[in-house]
Amino acid sequence: MVVNQVVVVDVINMIKMKKIVIALSLFSGIISSAQEKDSTLVFKKRVLESVEVDFLLSYYNQDGSKSAVSGGIGSEELTDIATNIVVAMPLNDDAVLTVDLGISAYSSASSSNINPYDNGGKPTPWQASSGASQSDQLTSVTANYAHSSDSRNFIWNADVSFSNEYDYNSVGIGGGIAYLFNDKNSEISLKGNAYLDKWNPIYPKELNDYEKYGANSINGTIWDQNGQATINYSPTAFKTISSVNRNSYSASVGFSQVISKKLQFSVFFDVLQQQGLLSTPYHRIYFADKANYYIGQAQYIPNYESESNAGVYKLADDIERLPDSRFKLPIGARLNYYINERFVLRTYYRFYSDNWDIQSHTASIELPIKVSDRFTVFPMYRFYTQTQSKYYAPYETHLSTEKYYTSDADLSTFDANQYGFGVNYTDIFTGAKIWKFGLKNIDFRFNRYQRSDNLEANIATIGFKFVMQ
Amino acid sequence: MIKVLFIHQKELTLKNLNKMAKKIILGILLGLIFQSCNAVKEYEKVAINDPDMKLSARTSERYETTFQVYREAAAGANGGKSGGGCGCN
Repeated sequence: MVVNQVVVVDVINMIKMKKIVIALSLFSGIISSAQEKDSTLVFKKRVLESVEVDFLLSYYNQDGSKSAVSGGIGSEELTDIATNIVVAMPLNDDAVLTVDLGISAYSSASSSNINPYDNGGKPTPWQASSGASQSDQLTSVTANYAHSSDSRNFIWNADVSFSNEYDYNSVGIGGGIAYLFNDKNSEISLKGNAYLDKWNPIYPKELNDYEKYGANSINGTIWDQNGQATINYSPTAFKTISSVNRNSYSASVGFSQVISKKLQFSVFFDVLQQQGLLSTPYHRIYFADKANYYIGQAQYIPNYESESNAGVYKLADDIERLPDSRFKLPIGARLNYYINERFVLRTYYRFYSDNWDIQSHTASIELPIKVSDRFTVFPMYRFYTQTQSKYYAPYETHLSTEKYYTSDADLSTFDANQYGFGVNYTDIFTGAKIWKFGLKNIDFRFNRYQRSDNLEANIATIGFKFVMQ
Repeated sequence: MIKVLFIHQKELTLKNLNKMAKKIILGILLGLIFQSCNAVKEYEKVAINDPDMKLSARTSERYETTFQVYREAAAGANGGKSGGGCGCN
């Protein structure tokens, strides 16, 4: 009898508790639905009033001493000029089509040394060769269609993209949805992308020739470590690559929230899976347990690892080999605070982890300062740190018995500091005009990037936004 | 026998109460969050709608993101592109 009473009391308690939980949930639901009703359409504003054109131009240069093309040493000098034109067109009140055309041209000492033997008999990893691979162009086009619901609380979009380089091309498709609620104070977004890429592999010259034409195919005398002529160079580990596809799939979830009149944040969670050829076919590897062979001028062999080496190049044992799958998990967050009419604080943090044993942290801060109605300057700082991949080892430290190996310093342990500034000019009345387009905005930024392994880079970007009148 | 059953039932009740308490706290937190979300109306979003308050990278930042993806192992979770292109130079 007593037991029955206890059970009955418990059941009553549980029912009460459940009622409280349900009531709380309903309360929240009522609040949120009430908020949605607040945004019931009174006046339907066009998503985009008129055609907008962004013209962007960037100049980038870098230098370092750990070229992956030369097996982890040598010049990483690179210059890249890129430009994009982004046109956003309103198709009707609800839909916008955005087309992004880009071209990027680079010249690189590193990739020039895929074939270092064009350097007038003075091949060296420390200088650019005049080979055809010293420069290339990347062209790309992306089209994105976005459609908003009448309430502007639901947006879906789809995109397609193509890009092409001499040895690489990429086709991408993607789509996503975003849902705004709580009077547009909250937003949840989902996004998915697939990139179907294909390599046209090019290999280090000596390996390519050895594979195609055999041991006697290399022009010029081959030297051993002691500077003696030899015919023993035999990179038997090298095999050409048969599977040239690289597919990347990503899914992203984002949530953003207005916390107060001056504070908002967002979090992003991505899942990325890559499959296929994830190594770069022209990155050389030198094994610690294999003899060294050189071509060029034998007197520079003792100084091979120094920039004073002006005329000898080491023949590769193999190209880098990496697994054909990689799983990446980044999670990021932004927090922006409007301090007052003059200052805004923008912050970003990301944690990243993948199954190649790399973990990284990224943190950045930017402080836009409104110096007048039209001008904003924004100093910025970014810190990045990563641990190395389990497949990475520096120049000439891998063993030929390993299955996977790379000497690409981008997969090594390092810290990086990036600092710079930007200047933004905005004229909402678009006073300055070119043909039918009024200039709404100019955005300039400059950043310097310094890595703990001595890679240094500078990047300057300028962007102009025009609005059709 | 009755005492044993009673104690057993009491433990179950405590467990249920714990679970319920957690759910209630979660419910209250969700309620508070939704309530706080309700605080900012459209006409109060002058600061939130400031271009510098955008919760995404600036348009002119895209080239920096591109070179960072090339020079660093990490990518993604920035609301931008996270694949395509070899990034090998």
